[in-house]
Amino acid sequence: MRIETCYFCSSRIYPGHGIQFVRNDCKIFRFCRSKCHAAFKKKKNPRKTKWTKAYRKTAGKELAIDPSFEFEKRRHAPVKYNRELWTKTIEAMKKVEEIRQRRANNYIMQRLRKGREVEWQRDVREVQRDISLIRSPAAGLKQRQALEATEMEVEPETIEVVDSKGRKQIIEAPVMVPATAEMIEDGGEVDL
Amino acid sequence: MTYKRKKYHHGDTHLKKRWRVRNRKKDLDQIDGDLKEEKAEILLNQEVDLDLPGAAQHYCLHCARYFIDEQALKEHFKTKVHKRRLKALELEPYTIEESERAAGFGNFKLPSKRKIVTQNTQIVDKDGDVIIEEDTVPKKKKIDENAT
Repeated sequence: MRIETCYFCSSRIYPGHGIQFVRNDCKIFRFCRSKCHAAFKKKKNPRKTKWTKAYRKTAGKELAIDPSFEFEKRRHAPVKYNRELWTKTIEAMKKVEEIRQRRANNYIMQRLRKGREVEWQRDVREVQRDISLIRSPAAGLKQRQALEATEMEVEPETIEVVDSKGRKQIIEAPVMVPATAEMIEDGGEVDL
Repeated sequence: MTYKRKKYHHGDTHLKKRWRVRNRKKDLDQIDGDLKEEKAEILLNQEVDLDLPGAAQHYCLHCARYFIDEQALKEHFKTKVHKRRLKALELEPYTIEESERAAGFGNFKLPSKRKIVTQNTQIVDKDGDVIIEEDTVPKKKKIDENAT
């Protein structure tokens, strides 16, 4: 008994399932179900069909290169039956599968982490852009003007942002320099 | 009674007819194998076979098609079908081995890209020298000289 792999989606084909096509150069194409067979007949490219293993690996969605893949291979050398070897192999298979599984899951988590980083940066940018909704640009204007008059310099204001994950970041608030016309309208105390 | 066919375009047939095994053309991975030098040489210098178009003397490697004469072949090289085929062959075609690698038998290899150019049509002299045919521009010049 041998568990074959589907030409199109690379899934397992158990005995009694699927269909196979033998091309006139003796290459055997095995298909797990009619879906894959029909896709092959339509000359669809498995690398571009999103639901296949080949797509997921070429697009970097799944772990593709790892030493744990080197165990399972088609070896064309027959091995004489040996009970000890057989039991050891079964044990090793379980172990290898467990390790492979763990690495594959880790790979996916690493891949998804990048999205979270992008999300966080986008949030920060949004806060910086719409800071005026939280804090009026006119807040503390008079004090600032008074300071300006005395020291003639403005220190960049900073705002500490703490997001839901508890990460802190200090954002430089954009310095609001009011136009002279506004200044005249707002405060009558400006010396002309 | 016979009646006129409604759809005239070539290839406007039922899908099932196109999928018939006898209508199968060479797959991309087969053509990829043909591109190897030894095989290409055999395919480009075939013996006269009267059953094939142009007696199998004008063959396009990339499209796996026979043409009736040199001119038809050259016209074909300028077509979209041919250019699309060259583009499709740029990436290594998908094979059974790749499907197995994707399933976890061995490491997965990303398909490599290579440059594919149309086969050059060369005419060999009696002495064994190769004459590369130039474009039709010099021929026109000759005509002009005759006219003047």
